Amino acid sequence: MLRIAVVAALLVSGAALAQTKTSIALLPLTSSAPVFVGVDRGHFKAEGLEVELKFMQSAAAVPTAIASGDADFGVTGLTGGFYNLAGKGAVRIVASQAREETGFRFNAFIVSNKAYAEGLTRVDQFKGRSIGLTTIGSTFHYVFGRLAEKQGWQLEQGQLRALQTVPAMLAAVKGGQVDVIQAPPPTGIAIDKAGEGKLIGWVADHVPWQLGALFTAPKTIAERRPLVERFVRAYQKAAAEYDANFQKGAPGKDADALLEIIAKHTKSIPEAVKAGLPYIDPMARLRVQDIYDQIAWNKANKLVDAAVDAKTVVDLSFVAGHLDLPR
Amino acid sequence: MAESAPRPVAFRGGGFQPSPRRWAPWLAFAAILGLWQAASAAGMLPSLFMPSPVEIGRALGSLAASGDLGRHLGASLYRIGLGWTLGAAAGLAVGLAMGLWSMARAVGIPVVSALFPIPKIALLPLFILWFGIGEPSKVATIALGTFFPTVVSAFGAVDNVPRNLIRMAQSFGLPVAEIVRKVVLPGALPGVLSGFRISASIALILVVAAEMIGAEFGVGAYILLTGNLMQIDRLLAGVVVLSLLGLAIGAILGRVEAWLLRWR
Repeated sequence: MLRIAVVAALLVSGAALAQTKTSIALLPLTSSAPVFVGVDRGHFKAEGLEVELKFMQSAAAVPTAIASGDADFGVTGLTGGFYNLAGKGAVRIVASQAREETGFRFNAFIVSNKAYAEGLTRVDQFKGRSIGLTTIGSTFHYVFGRLAEKQGWQLEQGQLRALQTVPAMLAAVKGGQVDVIQAPPPTGIAIDKAGEGKLIGWVADHVPWQLGALFTAPKTIAERRPLVERFVRAYQKAAAEYDANFQKGAPGKDADALLEIIAKHTKSIPEAVKAGLPYIDPMARLRVQDIYDQIAWNKANKLVDAAVDAKTVVDLSFVAGHLDLPR
Repeated sequence: MAESAPRPVAFRGGGFQPSPRRWAPWLAFAAILGLWQAASAAGMLPSLFMPSPVEIGRALGSLAASGDLGRHLGASLYRIGLGWTLGAAAGLAVGLAMGLWSMARAVGIPVVSALFPIPKIALLPLFILWFGIGEPSKVATIALGTFFPTVVSAFGAVDNVPRNLIRMAQSFGLPVAEIVRKVVLPGALPGVLSGFRISASIALILVVAAEMIGAEFGVGAYILLTGNLMQIDRLLAGVVVLSLLGLAIGAILGRVEAWLLRWR
């Protein structure tokens, strides 16, 4: 009897040893979908990883959690704050997250009803208009900056309204206190349908860019490289499954199951998730030149310290075949 | 019974009398900064999490050199000045009324108790709807935040005026208006002024919250911006500016206090 108990205990502890515990900091948004799919469909488990999801309150908190050692990995949008932390050697990008990809719809430009009535109906008319953002240096700020650059006008400091949170930004465009914002899906469609604002274009059609990334601490890469390799492999499998089900024209056979999983983690409903799915590279490849361009833009706008070197921000060795490699 | 000889008693009065020690605060500041810098230099504090005083000083220097420091300070001082003046003036009027009239007190105490604990920061989205994202919402945040503490301190100060002084004035046959002007208000002044110190500090705390909404300039906006950009040395430089502002306001209020209470 005792012997059986001892053997059973050994077996249990053996099974526990086989599973390496790790953690990832992230936001409960559809752009984190590969992580949710990886956890619930067993891709991480197949690599012997037990992944704890650590949900953060804001995009800025995600790389901070890596820097402070509260999580091993992180996925979120790329911001000025992220690049400053990366430049100080606190985080390093290893794979991609969501991307604004031509032909796919994710974030949308939403103008207030008042501005629309005044004739703001096209994406090339934002010059001099008041622009609602979460924060200076956010992904939203970057998109407006690149849009201005592309269309040949100057994004003035005075036209930007930093409102800190997405709910405040949505309230401001609904109330007409700002002329234009970018709305994360499916909020943008909902605002347009409810007549609280007008959707006049998609970010991907104007500024395709590498929106987010998967990253870890340089220390983790140096000391626990096999862990990072296993994690990225599982993440890639989840991204491939996501791609097969959502990005091949017709929905795949597991599309409904994946929608359920994403809805569960984002505290949403499958229909809403379906309307707001981002483009995810099937192999989690990065558009590397775009990362370099982002850092250059942030430096030019004095949001990122001039000392930050793009080469040290990305580690290209975990994913084969990254796109748009800089020469 | 033997006559007990008079026993000499040492003077036991004195003490409990604050006297100035001008060098002490400087020495304390210097010691803290010195220890901090030494810990940074020894590598005990990683600069990512806790930049050294020298790094913070450098960030503050470049902020001043760029001319932005003046713009941030000007914007914040305007909001603090206007918001605090409105909040403190209204709070003083309501608090004194509550101290003087039973009816105002009966209505005021439960209303203040119900509204005081509402977190003003949580009401920011509501303030956007009411006042827009321009200056009015920022001033209103500070005004509302300073109003309630001023009411409480003014009301308490009037309540604490010694009754026997009022009775004495009454027995000398002074009319009510004279009693209020010559006894109640001067007696309440110390309490009112220490309430101002508290509400001025609250105004400084709230300026960061007020500038969360669409502010381009302002010390609070700068602290939020550098925090989002993870520029910790600049973030702490902004905090230093806020602390210095607190010291300056405290010093000014100290002068005002000394002048108004010179009769003590």
